[in-house]
Parts: sequence; structure tokens; C-alpha cells
Amino acid sequence: MHANLLPVALANYVALSSVIFFIGVAGVVLRRNPLIMLMSIELMWNAANLLFLAFARAWLNNAGHIFAFLVITVAAAEAAIGLAIVVIVFRSRANVDVDEVAMMKG
Amino acid sequence: MMLLAIWLVPLAGAIVNWAFGPQLKRAAGVVGCVALAVPFVATILSWSAATQNAGSAVGMHQALFSWMPGFDFGLLLDPLSLIWALIITGVGFLIHVYSVGYMWNDNAIARFFAYMNFFVFAMLTLVLSDNFVGLLVGWGLVGLASYFLIGFWFFKPTAVAAARKAFVINVVGDVAIMFAIFLMFAKTGSTSFATVFGHVPALGNWLFLVCVFLFIGAAAKSAQIPLHTWLPDAMEGPTPVSALIHAATMVTAGVYLVARCWPLWNASHEAQLLVGTIGGLTALAGALLGIAQWDIKRILAYSTMSQIGYMIMGVGVTAYQAGVAHFFTHAFFKACLFLGAGIVIHELADEQDIRRMGGMRSRAPVAFFAMFASVLAISGFPGFAGFFSKDAVIFGALEHGHPWLYVIGIITAGITAYYMFRLFFVTFFGTYRGDLDPAQVGVMNPSEPAAHEPAHGETHAPAWLMGAPVAILGVFAVIAGYVMIGANSAWNRFFAQTFPSANLAAPAISEGWTTAILFVVMAGGIAIAYVRYATPVALADAPARLRAESQRLPAILVKLFYFDELIDWLFVKPSQALGRFFGSIFDPDVIDGGVRALVGFNTGLGTLVRGAQTGLLRSYALVIVFGAALFAVYYALQGAAR
Amino acid sequence: MVLLLILLPIAAGSVLFALPRGERLWSRVIGCVVAAATFALPLLDPNGGDFSARWLSRPFTASLHFSWSGFSLWLVLLLALCTFCAILATNAAQSRTMVALLLMLEGGMMGVFTARDILAFALFWDLMLIPPFFALIEWAPHRETAWRFLIYNFSGGLTLLLATAAFGILSGSTDVIGGTHQFAGSWAPWIFAGFAFAFAVKTPLWPLHTWMPNTYAELPPPFVAVISAVQSKAGLYGFIVIALPFLRSALVEWRWLLVALALVSLLYGAFVALTQTDTKRIVAYSSLSHLGLIVLAIASANPVAIQGALVYIVAHGLFSAALFLILGYLEEREETRSVLKLGGLGAVNPKLAGAFTIAALAALGLPGLAGFAGELVILTGVFRAGYFWPALIALVPIVLASAYMLRLLQDVINGPQVAALPRRPDLTVIEALAVAPLLAALLLVGIYPHALLAAVMR
Repeated sequence: MHANLLPVALANYVALSSVIFFIGVAGVVLRRNPLIMLMSIELMWNAANLLFLAFARAWLNNAGHIFAFLVITVAAAEAAIGLAIVVIVFRSRANVDVDEVAMMKG
Repeated sequence: MMLLAIWLVPLAGAIVNWAFGPQLKRAAGVVGCVALAVPFVATILSWSAATQNAGSAVGMHQALFSWMPGFDFGLLLDPLSLIWALIITGVGFLIHVYSVGYMWNDNAIARFFAYMNFFVFAMLTLVLSDNFVGLLVGWGLVGLASYFLIGFWFFKPTAVAAARKAFVINVVGDVAIMFAIFLMFAKTGSTSFATVFGHVPALGNWLFLVCVFLFIGAAAKSAQIPLHTWLPDAMEGPTPVSALIHAATMVTAGVYLVARCWPLWNASHEAQLLVGTIGGLTALAGALLGIAQWDIKRILAYSTMSQIGYMIMGVGVTAYQAGVAHFFTHAFFKACLFLGAGIVIHELADEQDIRRMGGMRSRAPVAFFAMFASVLAISGFPGFAGFFSKDAVIFGALEHGHPWLYVIGIITAGITAYYMFRLFFVTFFGTYRGDLDPAQVGVMNPSEPAAHEPAHGETHAPAWLMGAPVAILGVFAVIAGYVMIGANSAWNRFFAQTFPSANLAAPAISEGWTTAILFVVMAGGIAIAYVRYATPVALADAPARLRAESQRLPAILVKLFYFDELIDWLFVKPSQALGRFFGSIFDPDVIDGGVRALVGFNTGLGTLVRGAQTGLLRSYALVIVFGAALFAVYYALQGAAR
Repeated sequence: MVLLLILLPIAAGSVLFALPRGERLWSRVIGCVVAAATFALPLLDPNGGDFSARWLSRPFTASLHFSWSGFSLWLVLLLALCTFCAILATNAAQSRTMVALLLMLEGGMMGVFTARDILAFALFWDLMLIPPFFALIEWAPHRETAWRFLIYNFSGGLTLLLATAAFGILSGSTDVIGGTHQFAGSWAPWIFAGFAFAFAVKTPLWPLHTWMPNTYAELPPPFVAVISAVQSKAGLYGFIVIALPFLRSALVEWRWLLVALALVSLLYGAFVALTQTDTKRIVAYSSLSHLGLIVLAIASANPVAIQGALVYIVAHGLFSAALFLILGYLEEREETRSVLKLGGLGAVNPKLAGAFTIAALAALGLPGLAGFAGELVILTGVFRAGYFWPALIALVPIVLASAYMLRLLQDVINGPQVAALPRRPDLTVIEALAVAPLLAALLLVGIYPHALLAAVMR
């Protein structure tokens, strides 16, 4: 274990990542504003990114870095599509409360 | 080469008439006659080659081509097929000449001759083939020609129905022969006559079955009980057709088949009994039904059925020469009867009911004399053609050990004499009754006149066109039997190499006594007919007597022994009921019902789970979180356990 | 060369969509030229035309491998001929779309009949189902018919794919058509069942046939001609080139079922055809009956019966294409398909009546025409294989066939003229040309079937 490469203990990264992730989860589940929900999803992505980078540093494995980039790209794409959907829904009903939108009801 | 000419020239005639019909018009008749004259001459020229021993077998043989692996096709002209080819082309030629006159004013005369020539080609295929498959091809094609010609006037619904009935019943025969071919092919590996007949023992237990299926085919074609019902209906066709196809040639194909397969019949006593019995019963049934008919062509149709019954009885009991002899003489006198009847029908503008005839002696003298000879011949009057052959068949039945077929033959001969003379007296004697009210002579539903649409500019055909063939056939009805006189006759010598000679013990009743008995029975039949229809008293009172007879005929004869109803109830109605059940209940309800049940099950399953799809984003998110939490707990527990 | 055979029709079909929608002349000209080219191409080199390219290496090897030797050649020629005739007979308002779809259909089926790899076979199998579906969507009066066609046939496609995958994984390669190596093992019956289901739906075999009468009745005639004449043979072809050589042991195991279903199809189709009143449905049910005979031949696995099956496959293709085209002409002229309303057309349209008669006679197995040759040899073989009763029972539908075919024929062309029917002109030259090659081929195969077999057996 190359402790000197990691000035802060790994457990702290894991703890911080968990906190950020659950903040994101709470944001998605509890808030009704789609913009806030998108931002919360972004939080969850970043919590995962943080873990990737921490473990990559800890275990000297570059796959984590590469995955972090991949996640950033996917997150950007997801944000773009998500925002587009939000804009379209907003245009059609002048209201962006997600509980009011149930067009996909089975 | 000669064989090919015999076989293919009629086909060429058919093709020319079919392709250039509109241009040919009445010249189609000339083409048709030439297409028959050429093979007739060729057949006569082949006589010596066909009757002498060439190598191992008698006759001319020509291999043509391999139809399929194991099915080789070739032509064979031996004494048996020679006799048939002579009748087909010779009598066929006369009937073709007659047809030129008979169809003179029909617009479709070219089509008629195309069909007639095609029929002759098909019939020659049947008798010239050297194997069972070729025979079956000819068998099917004559059925087709018969279908076309029965339904020749295709605007008449009755003709159309009769044509279909004839074809379907004949297909029953076709498939039976097909099955016999399977049996023979499976056991002997070949369908050629030579190979199969050379390996009769190889058929083993199946021999009788082969004979039965071959005979079903023969019975359908030759109008034997219970497959005979199409023949009377087939009289819807033009009269020359009835003469050629439904009297002289096609309907005797069954006789040919049994005679051709003599090695099989010789080896199977059960088959002899079966075929002899059916033949005898058909002879009797046809004669009985002939008593109760009024339509001149139907009477002749039932007499044909009855006479073929004799032939089948003859070949069935292995008296092959006798059976074939009766075919030979019958071809002449029956063709003559039909053509004579055609002259009468023509004279009376398509009236066919003998109750509305009478006195035709002066109006159609040629028909009168020729038919008189033929009626005597068919009754078996000594010195006329039918006498020799019918005697031989009836005596042959006794000789080969079937006394009760002998008795049936004698009874039938008496009935035949009665109903043929009834036809003859009612038609030609007395005064003309066509001017009377139909009901006065007992005709309840008179036919509409003129079956065919009259052509523009009708002219009359030269009288000799119809008269000469009838006269020639009438002459043959007298003399055709003279080749059969005596035990060592020309006829027996001709077939000496074809059929095996059997050494039989002399039966209890000698041939001389048989002739005497037959003469007495026949004279009785003629006498009854004379008393009922031709005495001066009867002639004077003819309309009233005919009306009374029409009302008193037994129902079972008028209804033709209920054969049509029986077939209808046993086969036609159940098939249709089954078809309707399958088509409108089983398919849409049972099968599709099953499929719909499957669809319904899936739909129900979908309805069950669709409740989970609320469409609300946050509820989905909650489910995701819950699921992820379950995973987390699972792995945490796993980790703790380790 | 062989790729051209597949791609040319598909490409031509796609290009045709560039023509204006209402176009009538040029689409037919181009279509006929392409179909004629696909007919001529294999004749230039009857033995060869081999193309192969590796497609998959794992989990099993598969190739895009095509060739037209042997039995394929006859089906390729039959397909090209039928497509040619169908395009020639196309006379709808939207000929452009129809010709384009017909060409794509031809391309897809060319792939099926020339594939030497089961995976490629399965790919083209699904491809050939798409054009008829669009044709049904476009022209069928009931949308439901299209979906029924698609669902039935694609479920077959699905089992075909599953069976192919299992076969590939277990035997290592699907590039096997034309070979003879045996595939056995505990999976063999199930793989066979997968193939057999797909083939039985397409043929169709009772009780998987209920998609067929509606599809045949509602498709435009040129389409039905190709579908019933050639596409229905894809299943039988599959049985012969896949099931029979590789899964013979499994086939033997399932034989009783196949024989039973074949016999039921034979009788069932014939009985129903007796009582139908819609001309196209009569012929559709007769197809069910006729193709049951070929399944019987395959189930018997007797070499003579298989020879007969090859002849009968071609024969049925020819007469059913001719019948459906002629019924199409009839429907176009009289605007009804009910035999109860038709009648007496023989006097008005003698050429139409003549062509109809020949086609119907071939269908009822008249000796001298192609159908008889097939029937006789098939049943001889079936009987030789030891099937006494099935061979006997299979004769009954032949009698019934003569009854229902003559009923159809006579109800339409015989009898007195029906006053309510319009008097329309007889066949035009082009219409006659579209059926003439089919009828001529029927006669040729009937008189000398050996030529056909000799080419297949070589």
C-alpha cells in the first residue's frame, strides 16, 4: 500500500462520496422541480467520479481515471437530453412540476 | 415409327383443330377424319408385325423415354391392343364422318373435333402403353376428354353437372389404379407389364389387393356397380360422343385392363369371383333399369352398362377371348344403335323421349334397317354378331365353374331382348306421336327443343354423311361375329399366343344346349315386347298404353335402385358437412379460438402489471432507490458473512 | 454472381421508390428486366455461383455463404419466373410500390434459397417476410390480416433463430448446408422442433395454417402468386436441406407427428375447399392440402418420395402462381370473388377460360401435367417406405381435389351467362404472356419430369 500517494485516508473519500450520493438521492426523490432533480442526478454522478479517482490513486490503476472521463461525457449527454425534455414539457404545459406530468401512465 | 404415327397423328389433329378452329370452321371435320384415317391405315399395316413372335414376346415394342427413374415409357402393339386400336380408329373414323353431319350447324364444330381427336389420342395412349403408368396417363386423359365432351354444351347446367360427376367418379378409379401401381412397384420394382407379369409370385399376399384396386379402376371407367351412375347422365353430350366414348371404346377400357392383366387374374381365384360377380350383377341391373327408361339415349346407356357387364363377367371368369369378342361385336352394334338414334333425334329436332316418337320407320329408313340389325345383334339373334360373342361369354361362365353367373347371363339375355325391342317398336312402329300433347303419352316434363344455339345461315348436311357410317356399322353388326365360329376359329387362333389356353372339363350343359336355351329366352323377350308394343291392337292404342305404363313403372326402377341417393348420403353430404364444419366452425372458432386465448392471456398479464406504470417520475425514482438499497443490503450481508 | 442475384432485385426495388408514386409503365419495365436477369443469371453457370465470406468466428463459425447448385437452382429459377410473371401481370393503381415490393421479396427469397449457411438462411428468412407485410398494410382490406401474417411468421422466425443458434453452438459451425454430417444428441429433437415449427408455419401445416386463407385472399394477386408459389416452398426447402440431412434421427423420432399432421392437412384443406365460395380461398385451402402431401413425402424420408417432392414443389409453384394470377384477372374483370355470383364466362372470355382450365387441371393432378408426376412419385415412395395406410388415405384428397377444382372451374366458366356480370374483354396480350410461361412449364414438367430430376440429382 503506497500510503504516501494518498495524503488523506481512503475511508474519508468513501464517506464524502457517500454523503454527496445520498444528498443526490434525496434531491431526486423529494424535490418536484425537474431542474433540481437533474442537478441532484449530477451530484450522484460526481459522487461516483470521486470514488473512481480516489481508488485509482490508491491502487495506482488508471482505469479509474478513464472511467471518470467516460462518466463526465455521459453525464453531459444526459444533462443535454434531460434539459431538452424539460424544455419541451414546459413549453407544452407551462408548468414543470413532475407530479403533474404522467403522460407515460400505463 | 408406325407406332408413333398411330399414337400421335390424332394428337396432331387435335392441336390443329384447337389452334386454327375459328379459321377451319367445317373443314375441322375433314382434319378430324384424316387424323383418324391415318392411324387406322397404319394399324392395319402393322397387323403382321403386331401378331408375330418377335424375340421373346408377341408384338411390336418401342421404348420411348424414361419418364422418371424407374418409370420407363414405351409403346406396345400386340394382338390385344391391336383389336382395341382397330376399333378405336376404325369405328372412330366412321363416327367422325357421321359427326361432320351431326355437328354441321354447331358453331363450335372445331372445338368438337379437337376434343374428339384428343380423346382418340388419349385412348390410344391407354391401349398402346407398355406399362401401368402410361396406361394410367391414358386412363386419366380419356376421362378428361369425356369430361369435355359430356360438358360440350357448357351453357346447359345439366350437361355441366353430368360432366363433373363423370370426372369425379372416374378419378376414384384413377386413384385406385394408382394404388395398385404402388403395390406392384413396391413388390416388383417396376411398372412395365412385362416385368410385373413376369413376377406375379412376388406379389404374394398382395395379389388379391392389386386385383381389387385395378378392378375399382376398371369398374369406374366401365360403369360397373356401384360406380355406374355417371354413365346415364353422360348422355348429355352430343350423340356421336355417346357412340364413340360411352359405348364403343372408353367404357370398355375396364375390359381391356382385366384382359391385359390376365396373369394376375389367372393367379387369383378370389379376384375371378369378385370380378365375375360384379360383371354379372351389372349386366342384370343394367338390363332391369333399361326396362323403365323412356329417353332413347338412356335406354342405350343402360344397355351399354349391361353389355359391358357381360364383357367384364367374361374376362373376370378368365374366358378372355369371349369377353374381348363381346367388346369387338358390341363396338359395332352399339355404335350403330347410338348413331341411328342420333339420326332419329336429329330428325325430330332434339326430341329424345321415345313416347313422343313412333312411326320413324318411314322418316328414317337407314336408321330403321341398321338399328334393326343391331337390335337383333344385341339380343343375340342367331347369325348376328352379338349371338356369337354373347354365347361365348355365357357358356364361358359355366365352363369356368360359375353356374349361377351362367343363370344370370341367360336371364339378362331375355330382358335385353325385351327392352331393346321395346325401344325399337316404340320408336319405329305405329304413327308419329310428337304432335300429341306430351301429357297424353305420359310425358310430364317435356324437354325444351334445340339444345344448341342455331347458327347463322343453317344449311343441311349431305344425307350420306350420317347415313353411310350407320349403314356400314349395321353391316358389321351382322357379319362381325363370323370370325368367331367354331372352336378353331380365326378369333381363337388370333389370341392363341396372347391368352393361355385352359384345359377345362366339359360342363353339364353343352354349348349346343346353351344356344338353344338362350334362343328360347330371347324369343320370349321379343315376343313379350311384340305383344305389348307392336301388335296392331297395341299400335292403335299406343298413346294410352304408354301413358299407363309411365304411371305404373315400379319406383325402385324409376329411382335407379337409389344408387344416386346412396352415394349422395354416404359421400357427398358428409364431405360437404365436414367441409362446412372445418371451414366455418373449426378454423375460426377452435384453432383461432386457441390463438385468441393465447392473446387474451398475454393481454391479461399486461393488465395486471400495468398498474405499476404510474407515469410519475418520482415514484419510479423511489423504486430505483429501493432496488439499489436491496442490492446494498444483500452485499453488505454477504460481506458480513465472510 | 450469386450476390448479384440477391442484391440486384433489392437494389432495383429500392431505386424504384425514386419514381413518382402513380408511375405505371417504367416500374413494370424495370421490374421485368430485373426479374428476367435473375432468371438468366443462374442459367449462364448452372453449377457455380459460389460466394463465401466469414461472418462470425465466435461462439461458432458462420459465413455469408451462397450458391445455387442442385436443388437451389430450380427454386431460384421458379422464383425468378414467378416474379417475372407476377410483375408482368401487375395492373394496380400503385404498380410502382407493388413492383418495388415484389423485387425486394424476390431478393429476400433468393437469399433463402441460395444460402449455404443456416444463420444466413435465418437472416433472409426474416427479410422475406417484410415485403408481404407492407403489401398487406397497403392493400389488404383488414389491417388485422397483416398483423396476423407477421406474428405467425415471425414467431416461426424466432424459433428458427433459436434453433440455429443452438445448432451452431453445439456443432461449431452453421456453414453446413449441402453437407450431410449427422447431428445427434439430447438437444437434437428440440433443435429439430425449432426448425420444424418455423417451416410448418410457413408451409403452412395444420393447425398453424389460419393465417394463410386471409392472407392469400386479401393480398393483391401478383403478390399471392409469388407467396403461395414460392415463399410457401421455403419451409419445405428448409425441411429438405436442413432437417433431413442434419437431423434425420430427430426427424425419425418426430415422424409420427409429421405424418399425422400432413395427413390432417391433406384432408382438412380438401374438405374445406369443397365448401368455400371465395375463389381465392378455395385455392388457398387447396394449397394447404397439396403441400401436406410434400410434408408427407419428407416425413417418409424415402429417396423416391423426396424426388417426387422436388417435382411437386416445382409443379405446385407453377400451377398455384398461374391460378392466382388468373383469379386476379377474373376479379379485376368481374369485381367479385364469389363463385355463387360468377358463371358462364367461357363463352365471353374463351382465352381466360382456357388458361384457367389448364391451371385447374394441373392442380387436380391430371396425368400429363406436372402435378400428377409429383403425386404419383411421392406416393410411390411413401408406400415403399412402409406407409400403407397414409398412402391409401392420401389418395382421398386427390378425388376431393377433382371435385373442388371442377366446382371452381365450372361455376366460373360454365353454365348459362349471368346477366348481372359485365361483359369484359378477353385476356390482353400482356396478361396472356404473364401466364403462358407457367402453363408451358406445367406441360413440360408433366411430360418429361426426368429432366428436372436429372439436374437436381447431379
